[in-house]
Amino acid sequence: MQKLVVIGAGMASGRALEHLIEADPTAYDITLFNAEPRGNYNRIMLSPVLSGEKSFEEIVTHDEDWYAVHGITTRFGEKVVSIDRDRKVVIGENGEVPYDKLVFGTGSSAFIIPCPGHDLPGVVAFRDLEDTTAMSEASATPGARAVVIGGGLLGLEAAAGLRLRGMEVTVLHLAGHLMERQLDPSAGYLLQKDLERRGITVLTEASTKEIYGNGKVEGVRLVDGTDLPADIVVMAVGIRPQVQLAKDSGLAVGRAIHVDAQMVTSDPDIYAVGECVEFEGNVFGLVAPLYDQAKVLAKTLLGQDDTFVVKQLSTKLKVTGCDLFSAGDFADGDTREDIVFRDPARGVYKRLVIEGDKLVGAVMYGDTADSNWFFGLIKDGADIAEMRDTLIFGPAFQGGAQADPLAAVAALPDDAEICGCNGVCKGDIVAAIKAGATDLGAVKATTKASASCGTCTGLVEQVLAVTLGDDFKMPAAQPMCGCTDLTHEDVRRLIKASELKSMPAVWQELGWKTKDGCHVCRPALNFYLLADWPLDYKDDLQSRFINERKHANIQKDGTFSVMPRMWGGITTPDELRAIADAADKYGVPTVKVTGGQRIDLLGVKGEDLPAIWKDLNDAGMVSGQAYSKGLRTVKTCVGTDHCRFGTQDSTGLGIKLEKALWGSWTPHKVKLAVSGCPRNCAEATCKDVGVICVDSGYQVGVAGAAGMDVKETERLADVKTEEEVLDYTRAFIQLYRENAKYLDRPYKWVAKVGLDWVKQQVVEDVANRQALVDRFELSQSIYRKDPWAEHVAREQPRYAPIANLVQEAAE
Amino acid sequence: MDIAIDTPTRTFIEVTEVWVPEGDRLVLAKGEYGTLSAFEEASRATSFAKGEGLPGKAWSEARPVVLKAFDGSYFKRTEAAAEAGLTSAVAIPVFDGAALMAVLVVLCGDDGERTGAIEVWAEKDGLLMLDDGYYGAAKHFEWVSQHTHFPRGQGLPGGVWAARTPILMRDLGSGYRFIRAESAGKAGLTTGLGLPIPTPSGTDYVLTLLSARGTPIARRFEIWDARAAKRGAKGGAVLADGICAREGALWDEDSPREARVWQGPIGQVLGTGLPVVETGAGIAAGYTSMVALPLYGADGLAHVVAWYL
Repeated sequence: MQKLVVIGAGMASGRALEHLIEADPTAYDITLFNAEPRGNYNRIMLSPVLSGEKSFEEIVTHDEDWYAVHGITTRFGEKVVSIDRDRKVVIGENGEVPYDKLVFGTGSSAFIIPCPGHDLPGVVAFRDLEDTTAMSEASATPGARAVVIGGGLLGLEAAAGLRLRGMEVTVLHLAGHLMERQLDPSAGYLLQKDLERRGITVLTEASTKEIYGNGKVEGVRLVDGTDLPADIVVMAVGIRPQVQLAKDSGLAVGRAIHVDAQMVTSDPDIYAVGECVEFEGNVFGLVAPLYDQAKVLAKTLLGQDDTFVVKQLSTKLKVTGCDLFSAGDFADGDTREDIVFRDPARGVYKRLVIEGDKLVGAVMYGDTADSNWFFGLIKDGADIAEMRDTLIFGPAFQGGAQADPLAAVAALPDDAEICGCNGVCKGDIVAAIKAGATDLGAVKATTKASASCGTCTGLVEQVLAVTLGDDFKMPAAQPMCGCTDLTHEDVRRLIKASELKSMPAVWQELGWKTKDGCHVCRPALNFYLLADWPLDYKDDLQSRFINERKHANIQKDGTFSVMPRMWGGITTPDELRAIADAADKYGVPTVKVTGGQRIDLLGVKGEDLPAIWKDLNDAGMVSGQAYSKGLRTVKTCVGTDHCRFGTQDSTGLGIKLEKALWGSWTPHKVKLAVSGCPRNCAEATCKDVGVICVDSGYQVGVAGAAGMDVKETERLADVKTEEEVLDYTRAFIQLYRENAKYLDRPYKWVAKVGLDWVKQQVVEDVANRQALVDRFELSQSIYRKDPWAEHVAREQPRYAPIANLVQEAAE
Repeated sequence: MDIAIDTPTRTFIEVTEVWVPEGDRLVLAKGEYGTLSAFEEASRATSFAKGEGLPGKAWSEARPVVLKAFDGSYFKRTEAAAEAGLTSAVAIPVFDGAALMAVLVVLCGDDGERTGAIEVWAEKDGLLMLDDGYYGAAKHFEWVSQHTHFPRGQGLPGGVWAARTPILMRDLGSGYRFIRAESAGKAGLTTGLGLPIPTPSGTDYVLTLLSARGTPIARRFEIWDARAAKRGAKGGAVLADGICAREGALWDEDSPREARVWQGPIGQVLGTGLPVVETGAGIAAGYTSMVALPLYGADGLAHVVAWYL
């Protein structure tokens, strides 16, 4: 009988032995080495063992009896030291074993990030029973805390298990959303929401700086300075094939042990199977291809023909109650088309990716009933042209369901606030409708919903439609874009009411029809989110128009204009010299004084932008943000300092206003002016906010225009002090930021909501005015900064030499 | 596995009944009474209006109800229960949205030996607190449980609450160190089944059945997933988890068991939407009685849990 030695009692080699013994139990005299002190168990079921939802005994695939019955000599807990291929012997810690055929099933080990502290006691991977036991023991202390590094499959299963065991768990994930290799941002959002509902804290874009502790783990520190105390740290950032023994044995090894389609290594008597193999450049981590390999290996060992083929894979997460599915390729591509279905009420998201007439990828969350069918279509490369329109509804489509435009409102809980002005919740409106208020007027009269600024009118109508069904006829409203049936106003209100704080949250909870929005809705959503949640939402540059991405206005010849800020239109000889020097240095063809009292450098080449910004920064100037949907300029006249007619310090007030407002993002651009007397040299009466100084104080006007439309400002209030001007202006701009439709200038917005309502919010309600100012200042704590300086600081390393290669080579 | 000891013992639950609404009353649909025929007879002669007796109270209050002393209570069959040695009962209403489908009532005898736990946990101020529970002889464990609360996601009750799905835990007292583990271990509690109990009020309730080796609530537990989001048009249910003293682990990741509508006791639950209580021959793995309870979610029947003795 030929002697077969197998190194590693993992799932792949175990399955190969099953096939081999089933086909010919007498073919080989088998010896099985395993470094772990036990035989083959279903390693992928360690997660439910950790959580307590399975016992270890349940996941043992081959127990002692099985090995005994099949005459397999087991050498468990014994490491293989080396292989002598000339003598064809395997040298274990306890002695040699000769082989005719040898199988490597050495699997993989966890990749440990080599950050400071990675070797402290209490840092564990999640690969075997020992790791699982270490985690269970760590959870035995009440109030114990775990940090899981890695928001992939394994990390999240560990996190859920540890939470169920009673630990406080934080997951750190480097990418922007969980399981980014298997899920898109929308599915990642739902998964995060699901885990957070279990009390697990998820931090994305979290980069680990160090693990610290005195003799054992005490916590994790992130690059951004966040400090997370921890009793155990689980590293689940990936796996690395175990190939050292194969390398030492002289086998061909790349990322893993090279095998052909029959699982034969570079030595014809040595085979490899499982996570330790590399086949045609692929390495493997999921169980399905490993089992395919095992089948092929068994046949090869018996001298039969079979060929291993790499197939499409699908992903499942073993966290009880989380239903997700991912298969194929769902990267963006010009030749690809997405079909998206969302049901906010049920937390369902489905996305199919089609290329040509084939389904190439599928991502599903919350409803995975048809996942196997979709997976079959992907694997088979089936032609889906005939069923393209109904494909998303699965194999049982009966001509029914379409995405329901009312789904987002139907899904709102009763305590969701629909009318922000009057604090009216959905439940109040439903109760009023049920009590007989069956049209908008009656709801307004009984609940006051939509009775003030009116921006929630669309939502109130939708609540009427949801509650009354066919008895209520919805008036047609202009949707935000093709991605949704909701209007801008609806979306703004729902972002607040449902506390939606990320783009994927909006897409999912409001039932977006596309996977990630379009060029129309993304800039608007980006603004709405950063305006409503300045501390939670991170500005998304990709959702901005090119001028805002480049921090400069692109010109028709592809060059850019650069305009430094001049506070209140005041400059100095030094600033003028710096501007002149920059114009000379970068060959700026045109230097123009603008209508807003600034100096614009036109015709700057794109590649010169960071350098010219830096030069201007060094001279003490910041971006004039002449490109932004935000504060542009505060134009002033010279006021009492120089003018015979000046009544107040209009220049000083202009500078104060500009310093308070600069950097703020608004629905559209905002221009201000302060004139020192009613002669109005600064043309304040056609600005978004215009202040006219008079002997008795200041007249604050709003909602002027001097562009496509020309309109005089309307008087918001007359005040006595500069501080009041600053407060009224900030409150007005914050009200505009919180309520206006994206790309509505203030005069258009005020026309919609009415000046009386604005006055009520800003002038009459003192507490509300202060609250608006406070919220504006909170936002400015994030956004009152120079984008040029930020960009230069961020990109500076790109311009520095990478390394001194000459010196490194010498060392 | 701790529950893999299959010796005849006295059972923790002695009587299981299914009461269903008929007009404005609850009538007995099925019952498993063992040898307690006098109590069975008394029960079959009884029906309950809304608010009347234990089943009627579970209906009117629309939440699970634990009753630990019959004398002087609203319990209607006190005399027959006393004669049968039954001292405590738990009534679990089964709601599909606002509609009552049935009330499952289990009755237990208290002899100072039988250990186990049937607990009702309710959400209060963002935590899951013990509403009430019946523990038999496990008095210390009862005291510990009364002084325990569960945040979302933690322990069996917190896990069920957060995941909105039934969960079956192994080795409550040893391998799995949940918050009450030490006391559970001392009480001999081994296997725990946690069930989300939806109510029309929207208040979250979790029912747990904690089974002890010596006086088991059941020797086989099954969780069937029947959600449309999992099964789609094919309907029926798939065995998501299960463990059996006679057959070992029942789950199979690669080819899980399936149940079709109307096929077998689980199929009966899927077809009728009502709890099933079966006795006699033909029950899986040679057991003599089984209870299968439907659990409803937002989209109708979501899970079926079954326990066998």
